[in-house]
Amino acid sequence: MAGSRRRLLAGIAGSGFACLAGCATGNTDDETAFTVGLASDPTDTSRYDNWGGMAPYWTRVIEPLVWGTDDMQPKPWLATDWTATDDTTWVFELREGVPFHNGEELTADDVVHTFEENILTERGDFVYGWLHLEPGSVTKRDEYTVAFETTDPFPGFPGTIAHNMIDIQPPAADRQAGEIIGTGPFTLEEIRRGQYVRVERFADYWGGEPNPTELTFRAAEDETTRTDLLESGEVDLIYTPAKSRLSSLRDRDDVRIASQQSTGATSVWLNVHREPTDDVSLRRALNHAVSQTELVETVLEGVGEPARGPISTVVDWVDEDELPTYERDRDAARDLVDRSAYDGTELTCLVDADMDDGKLIGQVLQSAFDEIGVDIDLAVLERASINDRTERGEFHLQVGSTGSNSPGADYLMWENFHTMGIENKDLYEAEGTGLYNLGGEVDDHIETGYQARDPATKRDAYLEAQRTIMDAAVVVPLFYQAYVVAADAAIEGLELHPIDAFAEWSNLTRTADTNE
Amino acid sequence: MSRYDYLASRFATSLAVTVGVSVVSYGLLFLTPGDPAEIILSQQLGRQPSAAEIEAFRAENGLNDPIPVQYLDWLLDVCRGDFGTSYYSDTPVSTLIAEALPVTLELALAAMLVTLAISIPAGVVSAVSRGSPIDYASQLGALLGVSMPNFWLAYLLILVFPLTLGVFPVAGAGSVGHLVLPAITLGTGMAAVVTRLVRSSMLEVLDEAYVDTARSKGLRERIVVYKHALRNALVPVVTVLGLQLGALLNGAVVVEIIFQRPGLGTLLVDAVFERNYPVVQGVTLVTAVVFVATNLVVDLTYRYLDPRVRLGGETA
Repeated sequence: MAGSRRRLLAGIAGSGFACLAGCATGNTDDETAFTVGLASDPTDTSRYDNWGGMAPYWTRVIEPLVWGTDDMQPKPWLATDWTATDDTTWVFELREGVPFHNGEELTADDVVHTFEENILTERGDFVYGWLHLEPGSVTKRDEYTVAFETTDPFPGFPGTIAHNMIDIQPPAADRQAGEIIGTGPFTLEEIRRGQYVRVERFADYWGGEPNPTELTFRAAEDETTRTDLLESGEVDLIYTPAKSRLSSLRDRDDVRIASQQSTGATSVWLNVHREPTDDVSLRRALNHAVSQTELVETVLEGVGEPARGPISTVVDWVDEDELPTYERDRDAARDLVDRSAYDGTELTCLVDADMDDGKLIGQVLQSAFDEIGVDIDLAVLERASINDRTERGEFHLQVGSTGSNSPGADYLMWENFHTMGIENKDLYEAEGTGLYNLGGEVDDHIETGYQARDPATKRDAYLEAQRTIMDAAVVVPLFYQAYVVAADAAIEGLELHPIDAFAEWSNLTRTADTNE
Repeated sequence: MSRYDYLASRFATSLAVTVGVSVVSYGLLFLTPGDPAEIILSQQLGRQPSAAEIEAFRAENGLNDPIPVQYLDWLLDVCRGDFGTSYYSDTPVSTLIAEALPVTLELALAAMLVTLAISIPAGVVSAVSRGSPIDYASQLGALLGVSMPNFWLAYLLILVFPLTLGVFPVAGAGSVGHLVLPAITLGTGMAAVVTRLVRSSMLEVLDEAYVDTARSKGLRERIVVYKHALRNALVPVVTVLGLQLGALLNGAVVVEIIFQRPGLGTLLVDAVFERNYPVVQGVTLVTAVVFVATNLVVDLTYRYLDPRVRLGGETA
């Protein structure tokens, strides 16, 4: 009797385990459904509150008026054309016959509603400075024409609104309740907080019916877990696999690795208003101490490009070949240190604890600077502490990145290097200093580039500013960032973009033979 | 002290502890560097906010008031059932907690089941076979369990089950299958501690006269061990389990991150880094309440589990 009871219990336990194990992997057999593992949570309510908790990035449910080309130029999207009719007025022509997911057609009223209500009113003051618009500045000219009146001359306006967050939705959408009505190739079907966003194919998409019937964007913030999800087949594609697993993934026949240079660039930013990094000889010495190629090959496992300037070369007005270069030359660096005001005191180098490989990069730099006789104290801090120290200028060096989520990348020059840019303004106004601003002709060049409508003028002006910045060694450029996507080798049709969230999913297909 | 006096005293102590926790956590938040206005706005804007934007945010969220005033305002709101709203969005803190708490609770309870399933048999067998290879193996297992970092075990389990055997999902939440690996990860470390406790408690009980009496009555050894000895040996174990359950609520952070479970630990850690004060305070308070309540229940349970125990001067 006891024996049979034990057998019964063992049987129940075994069956339970088998059920749990069997039903657990949750893979779909649908050949046209794809799951993407993201490095951030696409359901983060705190960041995506205006979209009911759905990330406006990646999901392609909603769309802006303007998109971005691979070389970071504004590209017609919901708007087919735009013209600056005077210094502050932009007139946009809308694409006709674009259906929303609820079947209604996109018109100028929807654009005016979106900008006036959803963007300028709801999101508040910060948008004014970003878009150079204020409430009441967007008007309907006719059914398919909208005019924007910027607060000041802003030639970068079309590129700036080519952003996932500047999406167009009709008044009928109850966005904060999660009822997102866009014009994109996919419709929002489900948000599971902290887990995933699921979207389905929108058959009437103005750009043509997409291939995938369903896409699921899964949160997978831990890079090892994310890589495991791919290897287990629970997801079809992941952004940024664990670097430590890249070489083994590259060796696998069933995984395809693709990488794409992004708009991001990582540099050591030098505080030019604090002793002794206010000495140009010391700053040049630090530049001569570093081998960018070695850094990319070792620390980054080859993901990224050695940098010669502070801004990614995917931005169209950047030409690193025109910039002064600093090859690694330790002898020259030591001579420069000897000629500088550096007296052997320990310099503080801030590193964001959340930065990918930040601590390791910091240690490599510490060692490189030590080789030329410059002593560095690495302060690996969380973001809040970094901000605290930065706003008071209490550091000499900072390992940091800059990049853009839209083709409108002018602000990279303005905010970082102009005296009235956000990084420098507070300290300049309080103490007449700043952080990375040389002032004078650099400010003039940045202003010229910022206001230029002619691409050649913009390029020349920004190039002059960058030349001066690099000649004065305001930064030690490290690398232009790239991101890696690892996918099931059976998947084809993925189109990556310098802005990772601009990836195109519509052409995804799965080849039958490699999926066995 | 009567039963009611005892209850009143324990409730008063628990309330004082909870308020104390909230005061200390509120104070500590303000000692940490970093202005929530700047951090949150820079995340929302994707750039450094201007001084005017920071000032507007601070004014809107009452951050310019003296800290004691802010604390009292928060406390009064909490007494009215209002935990405030996240600085990031209009989402009430109570909503965020209501979404995250069940995820953590189910993990904590599942981990507790794993703990009991491992530790009680292992502890009993180890005690009964004292000095035998089984005992040494059990102790070695317990030592390994205590020494093994959570994250390492988590990755090891993922490697063995989903990646090698193709069973159980790597990460996620929403089904029982998703709970298995995180529960084993979290429960194993605790099982190691409890196994040692069960063993020592059993050894103590097995030396008691009533166990000898049971044996001398001719009862089978299994009945002696499981019905007479184990029941009494588990009394101190219950106390530890109660404390561990409370600790699990906050201790699950690493496991939640690895297995991508949107629980209370993750919510709290994110909020701390973002200086999202209302969320930090809300989660801390709820955790403190659960912890204190668990301990209260354990104390009361203990009183009934062991008839020899009479607290506050009562004697058997």
